[in-house]
Amino acid sequence: MSTTIAPSINEKSKNIFTKATLQPINTAYSIEIDNVTVSFKTPAGVYTAVKDISLSIKKGEIVSIIGHSGCGKSTLMSTISGMVAPSNGSVTANGIVVTKPGPDRGIVFQNYSLLPWLTVYRNIYEAVDAAIKDKSSAEKKELVENNLKMVKLWEHKDKLPGQLSGGMKQRVAIARAFAINPTILLLDEPFGALDALTKSSMHVELLKLWNLDNRQKTIVMVTHDIEEAIFLSDRVVVMNNGPAATIKEIVDVPLPRPRNKKEIVHDESYMAIHDRLLNLLIDKFSINDIH
Amino acid sequence: MKKIFNIQNALSILYFMGGLALMGGIWELISSLTKNEIPSPKDTWVVFKEVMQNPMQNDPDYKGIGVKLLSSLQRVAIGFGTGSLIAIPIGMLMGSSKIVMNIINPMVQILRPVSPLAWFPLGLAIFQDSPQASIFMIFICSLWPTLINTAFGVSHIPQDHKNVSKAFGFSNWKYITKIVIPYTLPHILTGLRLSIGVAWMVIVAGEMLSGGMGLGYFVWEEGFNGGSIAKIIVAIIIIGIVGLLLDRIFMYLQKKFSFAV
Ligand SMILES: Nc1ncnc2c1ncn2[C@@H]1O[C@H](COP(=O)(O)OP(=O)(O)OP(=O)(O)O)[C@@H](O)[C@H]1O
Ligand SMILES: [Mg+2]
Repeated sequence: MSTTIAPSINEKSKNIFTKATLQPINTAYSIEIDNVTVSFKTPAGVYTAVKDISLSIKKGEIVSIIGHSGCGKSTLMSTISGMVAPSNGSVTANGIVVTKPGPDRGIVFQNYSLLPWLTVYRNIYEAVDAAIKDKSSAEKKELVENNLKMVKLWEHKDKLPGQLSGGMKQRVAIARAFAINPTILLLDEPFGALDALTKSSMHVELLKLWNLDNRQKTIVMVTHDIEEAIFLSDRVVVMNNGPAATIKEIVDVPLPRPRNKKEIVHDESYMAIHDRLLNLLIDKFSINDIH
Repeated sequence: MKKIFNIQNALSILYFMGGLALMGGIWELISSLTKNEIPSPKDTWVVFKEVMQNPMQNDPDYKGIGVKLLSSLQRVAIGFGTGSLIAIPIGMLMGSSKIVMNIINPMVQILRPVSPLAWFPLGLAIFQDSPQASIFMIFICSLWPTLINTAFGVSHIPQDHKNVSKAFGFSNWKYITKIVIPYTLPHILTGLRLSIGVAWMVIVAGEMLSGGMGLGYFVWEEGFNGGSIAKIIVAIIIIGIVGLLLDRIFMYLQKKFSFAV
């Protein structure tokens, strides 16, 4: 990997970013990633996936993470969720240092992670049943039903995951994360396997859910889709290539809400943001192309 | 689709019949070469019908073949059942904890290759009773395949499934019943299938050693000591068919509880 030029630039941009986020001290952060490094022990030695990542996300903010495949987006999501412990630094979620997963953080895994022996309905019910302690079983069933209807899978509730298409599995995973009604939603390429139409309606559902809760839910989403990132997010985090990936740049998306998908594409600031993101990503492509 | 399926079915039945005919021919040949020392299929058939008369007769001086078969099956069921009931939880512990694995695995590796028959005298010494000694022998040899396969299954639960349990805060009970057992069940059933096969093989030997009961005794006493090779052959055929049926039951269960990912 030729990261010889990149790191010096990264260091600068990261420092600028850290200063910037320190300013609004009075705002309660929902997620604080403080100087996080994640290394894995592998047979070939220690592999550092992400390094010195600092990122503070406000309550109710929607943040997208984009970056090359293998740069460590999922790894970062796992540290927020508490599945993977950082080798250095710390993650704080809702004011508490993350040591393990909790029902305050709902996850849509990149590979869906459905249990193959449980029906669609059971997959969601067991998660709801485990995560929510203070509801009756009738209330839990209602939650499952509502969320399955939201992702339009109620008719398929008795199927096993093996009988579903990729997009359907993804929607089950989304329904499962939504059903436990977490304050933080961690979505790892949640709409990647969906067709454009279904994707659009899932965007609407996601924003509906967010609005319903008075925009108090914090959403962190990994995506490869620039348009999706801009349409949904308040900020887009662009990551460098790994190993030891850092944050390359954070792009603000100050477009007013509610956003109209058809209209914002003609908005000048939308186009500027789109351009900036594309440049950041293409920049990387060209570095890779030399090899 | 259905038509092809039927043709294939018919073909496999045809092959099966062909195989039987071939075996019958070889048998016939050996029989004539040994001047009927080994009885011909026809003579054996006569003895077979004789043996099959009143299979459930259960008098003190005469026990039908069905009664003998059931008594063998019963001993297998007890030994295999208790062995499995112990092997499955221990296998789960071994699979979920490296420490338990490291403690138990060396013992398993040493004891597993021991011939089941070697356990018979030990069982006899412990229980002072030969039927119980043969149950003990079945018990011991039923342990290993189930233990090893269960441990393998539990230790290979995919990280994805564990992540679901972690992310949604599954209780231990939910984790065991909704993830460990469903994932491990096909492995457990493989272990049970191997175990029942061994158990069925071993019971005949055990009954020969202990005497007085079951199919093993029939082979030894009425067949060998009674000078009727036909009876030995009849017993072999019955043992083989029952073994096949036992295997098929577990094969069916394996299929039923395997899941498409
Ligand atoms: N458990 C692990 N053990 C060892 N290495 C790991 C582990 N998990 C991730 N990695 C490595 O860390 C790096 C980042 O992986 P990660 O899954 O976070 O990438 P990603 O950005 O999500 O990629 P994609 O866009 O393809 O999903 C990869 O090089 C991967 O091989
Ligand atoms: Mg990923």
